Amino acid sequence: MASLTGASLNFTSLSSSFRRTQLPLRGISNVKSVSFPSLRMQPGFRVSCMAKPETVDKVCEIVRKQLALPDGSSLTGESKFAELGADSLDTVEIVMGLEEEFGISVEEDSAQSISTVQDAADLIEMLKEKNNA
Amino acid sequence: MAASGVAAPTRAEVLQLYRSLLRVARQFCDYNVREYTKRRTIDAFRDKKNLTDPSQLFAAFSDGKAQLEVAKRQAIVYSLYAPKVKSIMDIKPS
Repeated sequence: MASLTGASLNFTSLSSSFRRTQLPLRGISNVKSVSFPSLRMQPGFRVSCMAKPETVDKVCEIVRKQLALPDGSSLTGESKFAELGADSLDTVEIVMGLEEEFGISVEEDSAQSISTVQDAADLIEMLKEKNNA
Repeated sequence: MAASGVAAPTRAEVLQLYRSLLRVARQFCDYNVREYTKRRTIDAFRDKKNLTDPSQLFAAFSDGKAQLEVAKRQAIVYSLYAPKVKSIMDIKPS
């Protein structure tokens, strides 16, 4: 019994010391938010290969308009321009349309190497990142 | 005038000329001239898409290059006298 009362006495002293430790706890909570950016760095080495879905969608829309594809036709990231019925002149016009839409400037050799929708979207992402950097 | 032995343009050169003409078209500040240049290049290149005779190809290519020079000059001249009021077609609906 005596030990219990002794413990309760200790409690009060602990609670007072608790209040003192509350302030450093707030300091620790700030540290937690700083660790978030480091999580983003982990998939960093794959960012250049993946284009955002909205970019791919916008590219698909431009390709559809240029080649006058019927609404029901399937158009994915892997569709090749040649398979969709585009000749090299169409490809140049598509690249021009993409330059205007995204405000980028595509080099001659990069433009020659575009053959699928995904290629175009990836190139756009890379050029946009270069502009922002 | 028998143009035997002239080098026909390569595929890459033709596409480069196409791209340059379309880029020059973008530089015009007048909506009508800009659209005309785009339309005319697209129509002309598609029209002559299936030429195979080297002398004809060469003639068409040098014609295109001359037109490119004209367009570049005219883009500069037009920009000197650009109107303050933009064409209604250029104003995006807000």
